[in-house]
Amino acid sequence: MGTTLSLAIPWTVKQAIDALQTRGRAAPLGAYVALILGCAAGNGVARLASRFAIAGAAQHVGADVLSRLYAAFQTFPPAVFARYSTGDLMTRAASDVSAIRSLLGFGLISGVSTALAFVGALAAMLAVDPWLTLWAMAPVPVLVLLARRYTALVTVRTHAMQERLDELSTLVQERLAGMGVVRAYTMEPRAMAEFAAANGALRDASTALARTQAHFTPLMGLVAGVGTLIVLWAGGGAVVGGRLSLGALVAFTGYLGYLAWPTVALGFTLSVVRRGLTSMERIQQVLDEARPAAPADRQHAPARPAAREPAIRFAALTFAYPGREPVLRDVSFEVATGEIVAVVGPTGGGKTTLGLLLARLWEPPAASVFVDGVDVTTVPLERVRAALAWVPQEAFLFSRALRDNVTLGRETLDRAATERAAGAAGIAEEIEAFARGWDTVVGERGLTLSGGQRQRVAIARGLAGAPPILILDDVFANVDTAKETEILAGLRAAAPTILVMTHRLRAAQGSDRIIVLDGGRVVESGTHAALLARSGLYARLWRIQRLEEEIARA
Amino acid sequence: MPDAVLDAEHDEVLGRAFDRRLTARLWAAARPHHRLVWSSMLLFPLVALVELAQPYLLKVAIDDHILHGDWVGLTRVAGLFAATLAALYGLRMLEAYLMALTGQRVIHDVRATLFRHLLGLEAGFFDRTPVGRLMTRVLSDVEAVSEAFTSGLFAIVADVVTVAGVVVMMLWLDWRLALVTYAIVPVLFAVAAYFRLRARDAYREVRRRLARLNAFLQESLQGMAVVQLFTREAHERREFERLNQDYRRALFGSTLFEATLYATVEALGSVVLALLVWYGGGRILDGALTFGVLVAFIQYTNRFFLPIRDLGAKYTVMQAAMASAERIFGLLDRAPAIVAPPAPRAPANASGRAAFEGVWFAYEGERWVLADCSFTVAPGEHLALVGTTGEGKSTCVRLLNRTWDVQRGRVLVEGVDVREWELERLRRHVGVIFQDPVLFTGTIEANLTVDGAGGAAALQRALATANAAALVERLPHGLRTPLVERAANLSHGERQLLAIARALVYNPAVLVLDEATSSVDPEAERMIQDAMARLMAGRTTITIAHRLSTIQNADRILVLHRGRIHEEGTHGELLRRGGLYARLHELGAGAARG
Repeated sequence: MGTTLSLAIPWTVKQAIDALQTRGRAAPLGAYVALILGCAAGNGVARLASRFAIAGAAQHVGADVLSRLYAAFQTFPPAVFARYSTGDLMTRAASDVSAIRSLLGFGLISGVSTALAFVGALAAMLAVDPWLTLWAMAPVPVLVLLARRYTALVTVRTHAMQERLDELSTLVQERLAGMGVVRAYTMEPRAMAEFAAANGALRDASTALARTQAHFTPLMGLVAGVGTLIVLWAGGGAVVGGRLSLGALVAFTGYLGYLAWPTVALGFTLSVVRRGLTSMERIQQVLDEARPAAPADRQHAPARPAAREPAIRFAALTFAYPGREPVLRDVSFEVATGEIVAVVGPTGGGKTTLGLLLARLWEPPAASVFVDGVDVTTVPLERVRAALAWVPQEAFLFSRALRDNVTLGRETLDRAATERAAGAAGIAEEIEAFARGWDTVVGERGLTLSGGQRQRVAIARGLAGAPPILILDDVFANVDTAKETEILAGLRAAAPTILVMTHRLRAAQGSDRIIVLDGGRVVESGTHAALLARSGLYARLWRIQRLEEEIARA
Repeated sequence: MPDAVLDAEHDEVLGRAFDRRLTARLWAAARPHHRLVWSSMLLFPLVALVELAQPYLLKVAIDDHILHGDWVGLTRVAGLFAATLAALYGLRMLEAYLMALTGQRVIHDVRATLFRHLLGLEAGFFDRTPVGRLMTRVLSDVEAVSEAFTSGLFAIVADVVTVAGVVVMMLWLDWRLALVTYAIVPVLFAVAAYFRLRARDAYREVRRRLARLNAFLQESLQGMAVVQLFTREAHERREFERLNQDYRRALFGSTLFEATLYATVEALGSVVLALLVWYGGGRILDGALTFGVLVAFIQYTNRFFLPIRDLGAKYTVMQAAMASAERIFGLLDRAPAIVAPPAPRAPANASGRAAFEGVWFAYEGERWVLADCSFTVAPGEHLALVGTTGEGKSTCVRLLNRTWDVQRGRVLVEGVDVREWELERLRRHVGVIFQDPVLFTGTIEANLTVDGAGGAAALQRALATANAAALVERLPHGLRTPLVERAANLSHGERQLLAIARALVYNPAVLVLDEATSSVDPEAERMIQDAMARLMAGRTTITIAHRLSTIQNADRILVLHRGRIHEEGTHGELLRRGGLYARLHELGAGAARG
């Protein structure tokens, strides 16, 4: 409708001029003026309405795509996060979604209005004078062909430019990341020379691209210009010959002017569309990584297991990360309900992997990891994760209030439960000592807290939900031994079953049973005293740690 | 943190679209290309002139020829019109090309300045600033700044020239009709200013909410495991959805103003058209105006309105450009903390002597890593530094080649305080072999050679000494074999050998060896040890030992503990003393068996 109304304006001007010419004073000028104003107002309203509708819809779609992406991110296991960097995923969520928004918003508005403008203006021109329309449109095919040739060249050169840009960014990234070596070997002049070469190559490629692109907009301007020229000459001739009215001639120049902008914008519209389509593919690629919503139960999940079943059982568990040697080989042991078991051993022995498999962040082989007697791979994820709390080595805190970091928005957790958990984790007093107490907002990635404090907040988070099973992965790295023993004693009261992975044997000393893991295998197990008596790996590790303590005290 | 370069939030904040101080600096940065800038500027009036001639030709055609039935005259005018078309095509192309050329050259120069500046900054800066953020400065911010020229400065000048030309042409053709047209200008400006202001606020809100959405998303991605473990996905999704919708609403608000401005300006254009038909039509009837002038006026009006309509887009571009410029200049203004003195002292001889004299050092505040640490290395001596992790062994390396500066005390090389040396000379004098042998993309030759240190023969000798000659020969293009990113086409052991060859080429008087902790297979280990022994022969060497097994033959062993030298002696002496070293040794032996 907007198009029709705006096309009516040149037509009204034509009528007015014709009337002025033929009827002189009798011409109803006021009526024409009113008509122009009416059309303009109507056009404005219609255009605004359509723009809001389309842009609004595009923004809705953009928000929906972003929501879907986020939901997909939430299902990604660590394996997928290992393949896509945070930066990559951020780019997809920001730039690619924005490109889709542009495609549906600007792309659609521009595409539709270009199409309408062409159809409408052509129809209007044909109505005024078919013969002159033919003349005016004559140069269009030639120019379209020329434009296509340029577009092809632009694509080639854009590629070339992109390659140079990639080279430059690799170079910058590498030199900046390896600044220590650059500095130590006084390679600054060489780095600068290499940078200058890549930078120059990029400039040349960009300039070559610009030289091609410089043709494009003027060329499109030429389409409109040549049309006007033909109208002026052929149309003017027709007016001279009396075959055309002056008003019709003016209307024609008006229509051609009307077409000029969409023609010029065509190239830009096409690039927006192309980018949008590429972005759609990139987003789909990430969406395809999402884990299916509800993990299909491989077999019928058994009813509540018998009370005799151990809380945790590993049965001949062998596990390897994709494309690597197994990190766990034939591991079998149990943790009975109410027991504290410590897993110790040298770094790289597979301690962390045990926790990852229990929490099913990585998928264990079927029938090898059991929680409460149930194979974890046969039950929905939520059920496994509700049964246990796993506190990882690296404590991740959100930049939110401490309380929210502990509750994570769990509605079931009241104030008292939260503070009890913090007490058991040995962090309550420190939190209350902060100026803003529980409302203290954690800085970027929890940097305002010390490493030990962060770990204890993470332990409180794990304890708060009163999980039947607690798994601690080397969480006492930044806590001194005395504090560690104290916390462990508190935990015994708070959580019934505890599995502790640690490389500090002092912490393991007080547990009911100790499993020694080396090279992915269980090499020893038993109580502290029994293991010392065996004088095997555990006894050796114990001696080393005693030495380390002595050195630290020296 | 008040530091604009380090502040992540700062990336999202947009300020003014015009800042006199920044603009002056930008203008100065473009100085080498001022001739190019001025030639583009000269083109603008030319383009405007030709562009504005077209409606005038139309007027002439109508008034003087069409209405008089003059076919020949019309053809002549049409010919002139064709000429303006050709000229316009050529001029516009040249204009676009010159503008892009200027932009690219400015990008190129600013990028080079920035990179050179970064190369001179101290290690402390790189420890605090993620490489990703610096990449953004060097790659995208620089591009945004060039937009200040192409879409900002140039476009504004071009618009002003065009509008001025239109004003003059209209006044010249018919001043009465021109004044009628201008009657709308105050309204136009009022409307534009009003919407501009509202749109700017709306746009700021969009940026603010986008920053919040992105910050949330980034943190979510990093902490996803926590969310998954506690099955808090739904809760987080709700929060994300709230921010997502907040952003969408802000975006729509901004669209609202942008689109309304657009539509209003367009409608005002039609109002002017109506005015022209009404007033101009009347004057034609009075015989005071010709049809041609009216038609030309209609066309001029269009050209008058276009720049005003597009003002919004330009404003946004300028805002982004200024924000980028501010970040770039902020980085450039950060003076390097470690520089050579204006008059560096050259050491008398290069025998290979070094000493720490009461050195106190902390990476931050008062957390001393070294506290009153003193020791000396005699020419040709093989010294080993041992101690538990985090005791500051590697810090000693960084102080020796002045990667960091001490807070108290002195580090002497050849009897001269390292702070009095010329930096490049010092670093060529004190060579370091790092734990992780870093090689860069580029050929092996480019990685190993340095200006002014031997030639092809020296390089071959170094390769042979470092047991790396056979390895290089095996590669498809020998020395010219290109290394891929992180030298992933070589094994760790091979990279280690090349790093030794590199040190041999540099031939430093004092060698610091930060022992590798990662293990390689026994054969590679043997070759590395062998090459290392030849590198160390007759050269002052300080070994930062992470494994005690490799330093038993050292002339002297220093045990670093609590920031100072705790024990000192040969392997045998220290073992007999039964102190810290003896325990460390026992520990190492125990760990090796474990």
